[in-house]
Amino acid sequence: MEFGTIEREIHVEATPEVVFEVITKPEHLREWWPDDATLEAVPGGAGELIWGEGGTQHPMVVPITVVDAVPGKLFSFRWVAPEGEVPGPANSLLVTFELVPQGAGTVVRLTESGFRERGWEAAVLEAAYNEHVTGWDLFVPRLGVYIARLVSTP
Amino acid sequence: MSVAVDDDLWSAIGDPTRRRMLDLLLAGGAGTATTLSEQLPITRQAVAKHLGVLDRVGLVHGTPAGRERRYEVDEAQLARAVAQLSSVGATWDARLQRIKRIAETIQRQRDA
Repeated sequence: MEFGTIEREIHVEATPEVVFEVITKPEHLREWWPDDATLEAVPGGAGELIWGEGGTQHPMVVPITVVDAVPGKLFSFRWVAPEGEVPGPANSLLVTFELVPQGAGTVVRLTESGFRERGWEAAVLEAAYNEHVTGWDLFVPRLGVYIARLVSTP
Repeated sequence: MSVAVDDDLWSAIGDPTRRRMLDLLLAGGAGTATTLSEQLPITRQAVAKHLGVLDRVGLVHGTPAGRERRYEVDEAQLARAVAQLSSVGATWDARLQRIKRIAETIQRQRDA
């Protein structure tokens, strides 16, 4: 059994440049992950992922540190450091998106590593939080609205 | 679901030595602190300590065997832990599906 790293791959019918925008720009990020985000997609850039803002629960603010950002090619960042600490190599999870052109589209390779160093508590808390707060019943209507808006934009 | 209990479970299985011990117990059917320490680069005392952690979260069960305890893996509890680990992967699957749909929508807009 190997639980140290999560690896995923998906083909997207969009250019690496478009995918890069979707995974790095706060206005797109908040449509597929947190409720809100601040982020500067440059190496060393600091950002925040925010959940629960405007809701009844206290917002959860998760700091992230950008490790690498090469437009159209690569985006990686660290997150889920212990409270009050800046995410770095010894205390956080590393998420890497590699974008590889394939035909007219892009293969997105995702890895998330560092579970062994960080322990599993952060991951299970995040999974529990996602289950409760950003589950499919919340997300599906939101995505529908977002796509309808994109499609109707001239 | 109880997050506190799940945290303990994940901490228990998050340690590489304890995962190795679970592998050995699964392969051998059962074992004691002595038999496990013979297969690991750590002392019998350290093995006993790890077995205590695994026992507390229900991943192994011990029955008295002479002066020692004989431990077996609780496969239902192990399956539960593995399912939880998989759910972390599943949340990324859901996020990637969303990334795909958003990027493809934007691409279609630009191509149109």
